[in-house]
Amino acid sequence: MSISTPAGDSSRQTAPPAAKKAVAGAGRPPAARGGARSGGGSGGSGGSGNRPGGKGRPGGGGPRKPIKPVKVSQGRSWGPIALFTAVGVIAAAIIGYGVYAVTVGPQTWQEKAENISGISDFRTSDPKLYDTRSHKSGTIQYAQMPPVAGDHNVSWQNCMGNVYDAQIANENAVHSLEHGAVWVTYRPDLPKDQVDALAGKVEGQEFTMMSPFPGLDKAISLQAWGYQLKVDNASDSRIDEFIRALRVNASQEPGVGCSGGVTATGTTPRELQQQPQGQ
Amino acid sequence: MSTTYDAAVDASSSPDDDEVAPPRRWRPLTLAAAVVAAVLLLTVAFGAGWFAQSRNHPGEGSVEAGFARDMSSHHAQAVEMSMLALNKSTQPDLRLLAGEIVQAQQAQIGMMQTWLRTWGLEPTGHERPMAWMKDGASLLQNGLMPGMASPADMTALRDATGPAFDRLYLRLMQQHHLGGIHMVEGLLAENHDPDVTWLAEAMAKGQRSELEFIQQILTKIGA
Repeated sequence: MSISTPAGDSSRQTAPPAAKKAVAGAGRPPAARGGARSGGGSGGSGGSGNRPGGKGRPGGGGPRKPIKPVKVSQGRSWGPIALFTAVGVIAAAIIGYGVYAVTVGPQTWQEKAENISGISDFRTSDPKLYDTRSHKSGTIQYAQMPPVAGDHNVSWQNCMGNVYDAQIANENAVHSLEHGAVWVTYRPDLPKDQVDALAGKVEGQEFTMMSPFPGLDKAISLQAWGYQLKVDNASDSRIDEFIRALRVNASQEPGVGCSGGVTATGTTPRELQQQPQGQ
Repeated sequence: MSTTYDAAVDASSSPDDDEVAPPRRWRPLTLAAAVVAAVLLLTVAFGAGWFAQSRNHPGEGSVEAGFARDMSSHHAQAVEMSMLALNKSTQPDLRLLAGEIVQAQQAQIGMMQTWLRTWGLEPTGHERPMAWMKDGASLLQNGLMPGMASPADMTALRDATGPAFDRLYLRLMQQHHLGGIHMVEGLLAENHDPDVTWLAEAMAKGQRSELEFIQQILTKIGA
């Protein structure tokens, strides 16, 4: 504010063609400005020197002519300095906040997911698949194995940290992904200690479930809606990163839970009423 | 005025230097001031960002965030058990209780999840369950939070029918509420967020009265 006003003054004052008087006038206010600046900023050494110039301003008049050139150069130097300082300070503030946002500020879950090396992001690579989510009965063909999104059965697989010891139906599992579950799958020949390690990440952990998946091209594959990560070993740290980034976050229906789903195993898609449970 | 300047100029050459020098002397000074101002502003902007994130709201490792995350999962199991009860039980009091639990706890999950979003935090954390509570880790049973039903309990509940189901549901819910109230007490001992305190106290009150109701139903059905 205080910087833009003097700039306005000087531009108004340089405009009249009555050059010398105008210049004399222009020479003084910047000097007064200099006094105000130095008083606020770094010591008052310039204050006393500038004050006489400020007082002389209302009087105007010719007698001042001899000193003009000196004053003019003094005035010229202050305008750009003030401007550059203002721009610099504003830029510094913007950069400062930017540095904060990049280094300390929270990343979105999408950014966290994208930063996991080797992750397949179908959300960006196949947006049509990402937005396909109709309820269909019977067997559904999926382009990915295990599937990561798409049409699915009306019933979801229970994903309250369920560890299934046999294969489950893709059509029910995809519905769980839609609710925000992370589905951990492993090739049945995965050593038992690794299966146990995976189960430890899932059991009792809401919005996760786990099941074997014959024919996997890697030992372990993790799915969330629109995302997949395949790894060779249960000790791979990216497994935890994937679960942290995408569990609940990847939900297409925030607020809907994981309970009340199918708890039976088998690759035939099940609607709840077909489930051999309770009554 | 001009005369004083003239006099000064006449008096010696040094005032003359003064008049030419200021721009030269001021430029580095101004630059220095600008640099200082920029560094100050940078620090302030950085600090403000940090402050806004970490102070105005409970942060990533806070008791409040840990409670919101863990209690959401704890509640989700109560909802799961109570939905089973609504589907399977024919005992009117038990069905009333189950309906009340489903409605209250699912709504409370929504409130806790909203806090996390408002605080700029993820719904899931990096910590083990109960890490936010003093001596919380020692309360875990097979990795489960206090009062949580084990996977075997849940399978048994799914498989049970008739009066056996009713008894098992009520017993599991009794444990669940007792564990939940214990967690609420752990939170209230350290929490400073008025909204969190409000909801947590409501949870404890609600679950204590439901515990009385459970006891009444258990007596009624002769368990």
